[in-house]
Amino acid sequence: MLEKEIIDKIEKKFEVEGSVQRERRVIVKIAPDKLVELCKFIKDLGFEHLSSLSVTDWPKRGIYEHTYHAWSYKDKILITIKTEINRDKPEIDSVYPVWGESAQIHEREMHELFGVEYKGNPDLSPLFLEEWHEKPPFRKDFDWREYVRKNFYDKENERERVYFERV
Amino acid sequence: MELEAIGKNEYELFFGPAHPGSGNFSVKLKIDGERVVSARADPGYLHRGFEKLMEYRIPIQNAVLSDRICVLEPLAWNLIHAEAVEELMGIEVPERAKYIRVIMAELSRIQSHLIWYGVLSIGTGFQTGFKLAFGYRDFILDLFELITGGRVYPTGYICPGGVRRDLPESAKERIPKVLDKIEKMIDFVRAENPANIARLRDIGVLKLEDAIRLGATGPVIRASGLKTDVRKDEPYEVYDRFDFEIPVRKKGDAYARFQIV
Repeated sequence: MLEKEIIDKIEKKFEVEGSVQRERRVIVKIAPDKLVELCKFIKDLGFEHLSSLSVTDWPKRGIYEHTYHAWSYKDKILITIKTEINRDKPEIDSVYPVWGESAQIHEREMHELFGVEYKGNPDLSPLFLEEWHEKPPFRKDFDWREYVRKNFYDKENERERVYFERV
Repeated sequence: MELEAIGKNEYELFFGPAHPGSGNFSVKLKIDGERVVSARADPGYLHRGFEKLMEYRIPIQNAVLSDRICVLEPLAWNLIHAEAVEELMGIEVPERAKYIRVIMAELSRIQSHLIWYGVLSIGTGFQTGFKLAFGYRDFILDLFELITGGRVYPTGYICPGGVRRDLPESAKERIPKVLDKIEKMIDFVRAENPANIARLRDIGVLKLEDAIRLGATGPVIRASGLKTDVRKDEPYEVYDRFDFEIPVRKKGDAYARFQIV
């Protein structure tokens, strides 16, 4: 089984928790300081396409969980790499040296929406937001309803009252 | 438009927001005299933060919300959302629903490609092509109206667990009729068109290694020479039971992408 072989290859080189989720799906968990090394290794295994990079906010555990999805055109397998970093001081090494531009734009977005610092990414300037002074908007403790009420609620307008005062 | 002096002869010019066939979009240009020194894209005009919106809702509400991610293929987003929820919850979908999903996904793909052709036609100054594509797309929208109740947005027709309702009896007759019509239109569009070839050949060449580095997928990467299609590589629903070919072109220019789609 190809999926198992890939896990074995990774486990020989790195300290990871790896498992096969189902057909064509492999998942590994790794410490953040070994991440870039692992990414380089799997890219050489054929995982050339970084299909997504996302952050999950777990406020109770105080962590940001990074999820990297990479697809191998050769083996037709999707690998999921998970790593956890501190939520209050989110910093992680950039995978820009590994996947190039496709990683750069994902990291720029995550920097904007979650406030993560990617060390080594050449451009983390704002992508969507303009003149944003609040906390990063995708954090779980950012309440967009409250934000909209504060900034856009026109109290003179009776129609808006129906929406904003109902909650 | 705003002008802001930054250097002796350099100006910052805010160009947009416009809708150049790609969605609302603007470019911040740095201009030296009449020469563009640099350009930075600002794509934020339609960003609505669906991830955040979905946090506040339950999956059956999100099924409807997932329509709104993109105008061109709401059914595809429905499908992706439903599949994600099903995998998390371990729900098995009825066989018939799977086939209906494939039919809807393919109709959705065809109408999305028609829009693409329409927008391309505007880009090359061929207004008739735009009208043609949008006119024929309407036949598929009629089918969507019949089947889902909504023309553009199917209001969560493909939802976790299956589809909202069965295909109506008359769909069986109407779908092949519409497809025949569209096939004729595509034959017409495909016909050798010197103006089209002149405008598209050798334009915007994307080499395969660049396509991979930039993370291109779908028709774009197929036009650059990689034989890949998620319906074959990782068949979802019942795609593994259908026999179809993956078109590939080597050149990677705009004409190759035109031929693929």
